[in-house]
Amino acid sequence: MKSVVKTFSLQTKQDLEIINITEIVKEAVASAGLTIGTVHIMTKHTTSGITVNEGLPDIEKDLLEMLERLAPRKHDYHHARFLHSDGQMAVNGYSHLRSALLGKDTFFPLHDGKMVMGSRQTIYFVELDGPLYREFVVHVLGE
Amino acid sequence: MIDIHQHPLHIKEVVDQDPALEKAVKNVYGVYSSPHSLESHFSQMDAAGIEKAVIMPIDCTTAHGCKLVTNEQISWLMEKSSRFIGFASVDPRSPDALVELEKAVKEFGLQGLKLDPSLQQFDITNKDYCYPIYQLCSELDIPIFFHCGMSWSPIGQAVLAHPLMLEKVIQDFPKLKVVISQFAWPWVYEAFMLGIKYKNVYFDTSILFSGSPSDSVRQVLDGQIGLKNLERSLCEQIVFGSNTPRVDPKRLVWAIQDLHLNPALESNIFHANAANLLKLDRRNDG
Repeated sequence: MKSVVKTFSLQTKQDLEIINITEIVKEAVASAGLTIGTVHIMTKHTTSGITVNEGLPDIEKDLLEMLERLAPRKHDYHHARFLHSDGQMAVNGYSHLRSALLGKDTFFPLHDGKMVMGSRQTIYFVELDGPLYREFVVHVLGE
Repeated sequence: MIDIHQHPLHIKEVVDQDPALEKAVKNVYGVYSSPHSLESHFSQMDAAGIEKAVIMPIDCTTAHGCKLVTNEQISWLMEKSSRFIGFASVDPRSPDALVELEKAVKEFGLQGLKLDPSLQQFDITNKDYCYPIYQLCSELDIPIFFHCGMSWSPIGQAVLAHPLMLEKVIQDFPKLKVVISQFAWPWVYEAFMLGIKYKNVYFDTSILFSGSPSDSVRQVLDGQIGLKNLERSLCEQIVFGSNTPRVDPKRLVWAIQDLHLNPALESNIFHANAANLLKLDRRNDG
């Protein structure tokens, strides 16, 4: 069994932003050179998410608006104070909760050298507290 | 929108130029997260709607043997982007302070002076070393941005930054424009008193003590001072300041917007007051 891990970076531009990373992931899988196994895509941050949905602008907008409804910016969060370990204000409780709702990762099967995906499935990196420099990893595990 | 209070000590391109800076940012200023790129910095300004930002160093040579960004680095950043407006810093206890300040203004084009008595550890009222600096700022017609009130630096001493110590300075230099950071929290009423009495006293909005910026800004501006008093007495004396990198600047923008001020006052805070203070419109680059 082989394990290939590739790290990709993004400079996000908005506070809340949904970025299609499907082609980046497919290219990473192709360059890994494996034929069967599993593809794991994971964000390295706690205020971003990875999700899969239909690649339509209205779905993207609905998804972001849902996150704003479920974890609104204006609320009495406990995570709203000076964070001594950073020396900065930690006031993004809603971003962490939105990340918890989305999850940090997703998986796809790898078969005949390709990811097994539904025709409408699109892989997204979701920025939840941008703009920031971000990284996600693609882990291809198999033979 | 103009942000009058940013410290570029967390910008990677600046930190990479100066190996001692990264250590000083941690040990003296007290920010421990990783620096971010200039591109990321501008993206944060864009997302917040900030067009221009005042960037300021802090010269702590006597107190701590370091400079939290130099005047030269501020000048370098200004060359990188016209979105940056540079302020200088000098060590008040240095015998070269006056020469350095004059050079920073006349040679580098810096447009104000930043002083942080809590971190630079000097006496605001000292007539031997501070008054000549105040005199030069009056003659050069540049504002002084004073850190007042609590310092988040682990070695900052708030007692040196009490706003009441400024009153005699303001009286002795009636033409000097003085900007008080964060309404000098926790000494808000004392700072407010200075603002209603002296028209050459300004305040920035970087009120960050607990809760979200929206919570802390509302507690001070609405709960303690009162929004009506802002409109009546300070409408031309409040300037938007974020104190980046202590906080992402978008959060201070939201904090002001969340107050639902009358549009004229909000516009003054976000642009007009700082443009007047910095004479941007008169310089034709505002």
